[in-house]
Amino acid sequence: MSPIEIGVVSVIAIIVLVYLGLYIPVALGVVSFVSIWLMRDDFELSMNLLKIAVGDSVMEYTFATVPLFTFMGLIVSKAGMGADIYEVMNSGFKKVKGGIGMATVGANAVFAAVTGSSIASASVFAKVSVPEMLKYDYNPRFAVGVVAGSSVLGMIIPPSAMLIIYSFVAEQSVGEMFLAGVVPGVLLAIAYIAAIWLMGKFTPNYVGGKPATEYEWMSFKEIFSKTAPLVTLITVVLGGIYTGWMTPVEAGAAGAAVGLIIAIVRRKINLKIFWEALIETGHITASILFLITAASIYSRMLGLAGLPNELAVILEQNQMSFMMIMVIYVCLMLFLGTLLDTASIILIVVPLFLPLIEPMGLSLVWFGIITVIGAEIGLLTPPLGISCFVIKASVDDDRISLKDVFMGALPFAFVMLIVLILLINYPVLSIGILH
Amino acid sequence: KAVVIDGYPAKAMWVDEFSNFFIPQVNERLAKTNNYKIDWQESYGGTIVKPKGVLDGIKLGLGDIGIVTTVFHNSKLPSQSLAAVTPFVSVDARVVAKAMDEITKEFPTMEKEFSKQKQVYLATGVVLNTYQIFSKERIESIKDLEGGKVAGAGIILRYLDGINNAAGVRGGLTDFYNMLSTGLVDHAMLWPEAAKTFKIAEVAPFMLKADLGAVNSKTVTANSRFWKKLPDEVKQVIQEVAVEYRDHIAEIAMDRAQESLDAYIAAGGTVVTMSQEARKEWADSMPNLAAEWAAGLDKKGEPGTEMLRAYMGKLTAAGFTPARDWAAGLK
Amino acid sequence: MSNILVQGTNKLSRIANVTAIIANTVGTLMVLCLVIVVDYDVIARGAFNKPFGGAVEVVQFTMVLIVFLQLPDVVRVNRLTRSDGFLAIMQPRFPNIAMWVRRFIDSVSAILMTLIAIAIWPEFVEMFETKDYFGVPGVFVAPWWPIKLVIFLSASLCALIFILKVILAATNIKLIRMDEMKDKAVPSGEKI
Ligand code: NA
Ligand code: NA
Repeated sequence: MSPIEIGVVSVIAIIVLVYLGLYIPVALGVVSFVSIWLMRDDFELSMNLLKIAVGDSVMEYTFATVPLFTFMGLIVSKAGMGADIYEVMNSGFKKVKGGIGMATVGANAVFAAVTGSSIASASVFAKVSVPEMLKYDYNPRFAVGVVAGSSVLGMIIPPSAMLIIYSFVAEQSVGEMFLAGVVPGVLLAIAYIAAIWLMGKFTPNYVGGKPATEYEWMSFKEIFSKTAPLVTLITVVLGGIYTGWMTPVEAGAAGAAVGLIIAIVRRKINLKIFWEALIETGHITASILFLITAASIYSRMLGLAGLPNELAVILEQNQMSFMMIMVIYVCLMLFLGTLLDTASIILIVVPLFLPLIEPMGLSLVWFGIITVIGAEIGLLTPPLGISCFVIKASVDDDRISLKDVFMGALPFAFVMLIVLILLINYPVLSIGILH
Repeated sequence: KAVVIDGYPAKAMWVDEFSNFFIPQVNERLAKTNNYKIDWQESYGGTIVKPKGVLDGIKLGLGDIGIVTTVFHNSKLPSQSLAAVTPFVSVDARVVAKAMDEITKEFPTMEKEFSKQKQVYLATGVVLNTYQIFSKERIESIKDLEGGKVAGAGIILRYLDGINNAAGVRGGLTDFYNMLSTGLVDHAMLWPEAAKTFKIAEVAPFMLKADLGAVNSKTVTANSRFWKKLPDEVKQVIQEVAVEYRDHIAEIAMDRAQESLDAYIAAGGTVVTMSQEARKEWADSMPNLAAEWAAGLDKKGEPGTEMLRAYMGKLTAAGFTPARDWAAGLK
Repeated sequence: MSNILVQGTNKLSRIANVTAIIANTVGTLMVLCLVIVVDYDVIARGAFNKPFGGAVEVVQFTMVLIVFLQLPDVVRVNRLTRSDGFLAIMQPRFPNIAMWVRRFIDSVSAILMTLIAIAIWPEFVEMFETKDYFGVPGVFVAPWWPIKLVIFLSASLCALIFILKVILAATNIKLIRMDEMKDKAVPSGEKI
């Protein structure tokens, strides 16, 4: 079999096994193992590949960002900082049609700057913002949709576990990836707010909601006490990284410590919560890094098969246009996004497309932003959309079915797609900030 | 068929020269007799291994020929740090590369270390001519480094061991610019080409020309099993080309160093040449890294002391006067 | 006869689970250790001009401990990343097929874990004998062998837990308690 055939067959095998329900890391590992074995007729080589990949991948220094930012995010959510920022935003947006929705988006964007995952955002805002919207007679579908849609900001605006994962596969600097995520994240937040405004204008019934009868501006003291902790954290973490005072790993550790201190000072944490956050952090770290390890076995298998070399040749011969590749790429991510989680999508598609993108002289940082956003659309699409699942579980209200969440999220998934196309066409939006 | 691996990307100088010098040269020579032909598969930049994984990759047969970055493997390849533990001797990459290569071939130690990793030594690569000190302020001697923070990586951080209160701060090449610009460190130990690539002149406009010396960091090796199967004619061609590759990249390293230094000055950098006395003072302040190194090998029953002496002899014979004779006082 | 077997299996499963939980606790403490080490380095460097030379090696070391000490517990509570939409659809209509698919999945997983354990074991032996280390001599070094040992033990325990899942799938004994999952962020791929 030629490298291309092996590549194609192994990808199909992985997809089938994964859809069947096989653990994703196991699917990646086993298929790669068998592929090498068949390709080289050398069982020992397969074993050697396991040997080198299993120790190697976890030993990466920058991976310490995964547990550190996860821990920080968990502590911050448990300390109620997400709810705080939401209340502040809400007092500003209440008058506008769909205002609570806009406030949710805004609060999510700010909260995203201290959490590394969309899951944390989804569960926090499902609890504070959905009940509030229902109280003001918003359409339940719209309410959960807003929360689902804006939760993805958590993984686009840095820090972000997905940007870290990409920077590992594509060997880009984590700091640069973080920097490049800022504008696209803010852009997406603005696009969401604009979409809500348009919905309020043209389909007011879909949005629902009645104007708030009693609302008063928060006092500055209140605003300050609710935003100061978060602003401090953002300054420490993002400031530390961008000025170069700290590596992303150190910023993560500093953020975790500062978050913890804030939580203790505000008496929002006890030993039990602290321990739970630690365990949760460990579990998430172990499952993400094991997945990365397996994906590195897979990408090395592709390398050993010579697939990257072959793809480069094919590209040269066929003169595939940039647009063509991008269309295929986005479609593949959307397809995988129906069932897979974001990290798995990134780890499967990047090794396949990197050898195509790199010789074209395109920025790999830009490509990373495209990849992360493209893969995150899958968080909102049925049948398996993690953000929607988390929201359904966190809202815990029988009036809202899982279908409602997915339907509500659909317009936002569409907005994401539009922003994605924009980012593909105007790379300066993501990488302009680097120069 | 031969799979060539390195964890560094194809645009890295030594990888690029492997593609555009080593391989074509081998092909050309084999074509002359037309008995054999090698079908090369080049897999660089993490497609099969990461930079640190080349040694294991060759050992385990994931690649047939590879460029091992030896500085990552102090433990498995201790004798490879010979040039690094003897600073202030020579800034000529060509001479250091040749001397290292000869030491490897004259003493069994280095080849033994590689054969333990199931690979065959082919060539030494020296890709940087010398470390210098880049600073925010003008400095002239180690007095000026006292109490300061110096960015660096690996074993060269030990050059600071004898300087009062100077702290070595570890960092990756890509971090140095930021570390300097924020004042996290006051100085950085870098070679001119890296200084040019990362625009160090903007944040550290003073270079102290300390001429710490050229250091070997790359070794081309082949998997033993793969090597054994090669016909003698092919082996011979590869070995010939390996020596030429060694000299070729050392030559390029020297050219690049000069160009980079010019670029540094053009970008507003000032070069301060360290006086011989100041260099000697620094060299004398260091613990005898070379003696430590030799003792470590001697203890294992390897001719560490002899290798060190032979190496110093070769460099002296090539016309260099070391600021400190690292082999002095050894029995 | 089969009763004794079932009892034995149950006992083994309890032992495996307790071991996984203990390893998980140690791994959890490593998360804390990671935070402390990195913060210590930042403060020592910034305020006292005395950076901790071994920060990188210690971080690498703790990462391995975190991941591989917690992996068995992740397997135990079924939190390994997967996409079980298909199984969820099959379960109510064809419980038998779903069970066999599950067994197939856990068997494959057990095989992979066993292969990893077999692959790593000689590495451990070699590192233990040669006392190889990583890091910079004179600055900070850490031995390789504990890392290889942890990976070996972790992969073995994961393999055992998977094998037990295959066996116990038939007797319908619940291996997982979902109580710890209540009211918590749900990781990717988690069934709800
Ligand atoms: Na974020
Ligand atoms: Na989906």
